[in-house]
Amino acid sequence: MAELGLYLDLIRRNPVYLAGLVIVSSFVVLGLIAPYILTRPEDAWGLAYSIDKRLMPPSLEHPFGTDEYGRDVFNRVLLGARFSLVIGVGVVALSLAIGVPIGLVAGYMGGRVGTALMRITDMFLAFPPLLLAVALAATLGRGLLNTIVALSLSWWPWYSRLVYLQVSSVKNMPYVDAARVVGLDEARIMFKHVLPNSLTPVITQATLDVGSAILEASALSFLGVGVPPPIPEWGLLVSSGWHLVSRAWWISFFPGLAIVITVLGFNLLGDAVKELMDPRLRNILSMRRV
Amino acid sequence: MPVSREYLVKRLVLLVFVVLGVLVITFIITRVIPARPEFLWAGPHATEEQLKRARQELHLDEPLHVQLYYYLLDFFKGSWGVSWRTRSPVLQDLLTALPATLELVVTAFTLAFLAGVPLGIYSALNYGRRADQVVRVLTILGASTPVFWVALILQTVVGIWAGLLPAGKRVDEYLVYSTGFRPITGFYLLDSLIQGNIAVFADVLKHIIMPALVLSLYPMSLASRMCRSLMIEVLNENYIRSLEIWGVPRRVVLLKYALRNVIVPVVGSLGLSFGYTLVGAFMVELVFVWPGLGYYAGMALLSYDYPAIIGAVVLVAIFYSLINFVVDLLHAWLDPRVRL
Repeated sequence: MAELGLYLDLIRRNPVYLAGLVIVSSFVVLGLIAPYILTRPEDAWGLAYSIDKRLMPPSLEHPFGTDEYGRDVFNRVLLGARFSLVIGVGVVALSLAIGVPIGLVAGYMGGRVGTALMRITDMFLAFPPLLLAVALAATLGRGLLNTIVALSLSWWPWYSRLVYLQVSSVKNMPYVDAARVVGLDEARIMFKHVLPNSLTPVITQATLDVGSAILEASALSFLGVGVPPPIPEWGLLVSSGWHLVSRAWWISFFPGLAIVITVLGFNLLGDAVKELMDPRLRNILSMRRV
Repeated sequence: MPVSREYLVKRLVLLVFVVLGVLVITFIITRVIPARPEFLWAGPHATEEQLKRARQELHLDEPLHVQLYYYLLDFFKGSWGVSWRTRSPVLQDLLTALPATLELVVTAFTLAFLAGVPLGIYSALNYGRRADQVVRVLTILGASTPVFWVALILQTVVGIWAGLLPAGKRVDEYLVYSTGFRPITGFYLLDSLIQGNIAVFADVLKHIIMPALVLSLYPMSLASRMCRSLMIEVLNENYIRSLEIWGVPRRVVLLKYALRNVIVPVVGSLGLSFGYTLVGAFMVELVFVWPGLGYYAGMALLSYDYPAIIGAVVLVAIFYSLINFVVDLLHAWLDPRVRL
């Protein structure tokens, strides 16, 4: 906790990192409250359409314009924050739920079981990122849950490898031997003593990965294998304005901008954390300027 | 080359296993995950009779390991199934589309390297100053932007509204017919140069700039970030200080001594981003109607053409593993400190 305070302090002193922190926290808040602050809920949820208001350019009444069904794009983008948050957090949580136990067992047990588990992990890592998710999403069919599952099934190997590496080093620490000498059973050592001490970098990485998960989910939607309409997921909103973009640029432009800003926030924060945690760069900070 | 024979054999064996693993996973994706694969196979409007035939063709009534055997047999016999959309063998379709994608991706990587490395060095030399901050934010922005969105915006603004560059396709068909241009390798830039067809070369160049630029954003950011952090590290090494103390000109120190230790891992990281960029090409090609692997796979996705989707996935995954292998070999070859 003291360390967290230190990080926050360091982040606060750098305007770029501070921007990341501000973006991420506002995104989370927006994602939580979005459904309750909509000015045109039926537009946002895609339930109503009005022919007389179609394809209106941005104005005071419709800051982001209206789409081809006359729905207010601003409200749709606003509600999109909720779906992006659900997808991002869902993907990371499900991936952790798959990846952490596999990495923990592989790292702690080692031996043949460990090798077998890590070989399976390597097989999944042999796919280029996103590609496996595209294939999975295509066979699972469009849907919010299916999108989360498809992304998680291609995402977990990263966590299981990270946990594996952590656990492999933590399990050799003297205090683990001490626990064994005292006579604690293996399961208890594994879950209560090794796991908690291996989780910090994993949780940090997972938190920052929410941005990448949002980015990849938007790509799935754009390719037509992600979230189905009328859900106002940002990638889907961009793709819904695709064929109209030269006449009504605002339909695709603003949701895309929302993705950029959100993912940028997570990545700026990630950059800050990496820089602060990297001991080599930290040393250089105190050295001469190159 | 400092690569031992045992290492080569070990890696090649591993490669075979990785490809097999990819096949098993795709088998599971196509045959086990869908509740009734025969529906996917026979199409949405299949009759009872057609479904029955599909079950037989897919060997769905056999046990799972027998199904896997048939699946692998099909793959190694070179028939990757027939595309429902184009009605021709998937492998043939894929190989026809491959050169267009490779040309696009290679151009994108060239751009990424040529712009990313100098940006990274510039950033490192200004470590901690405003210029460094600006470059860093720009590179993070490059990695945070959905590639399909940039493609769409750039295409609209530059291609459609301003009309400065062609908004899609690889080459002007009329020019191809009127000048008698014939593809040889499938890499149009190369082919037009070989034939001395400057008009087509210029036209292909005009077509490739925008999609290649969009596709290069991610690897460019990666190269720049990698180059920056490695350069900062290298410039703090003692041998660089010694060179400075001896009075070796800064230019020489940078370009001859420092850069050499930076460039190899940067190339390596670019190689590793190849797979991601190929998937990015799916979207860029769809937007720019670029007749490559990505366009083919993208159209397959939009029309639920499963044999084609799976074929593209397998091909790209195999490519990805091969590239990783080549990157490791190159690494050993370029960097005398690495012994494999």
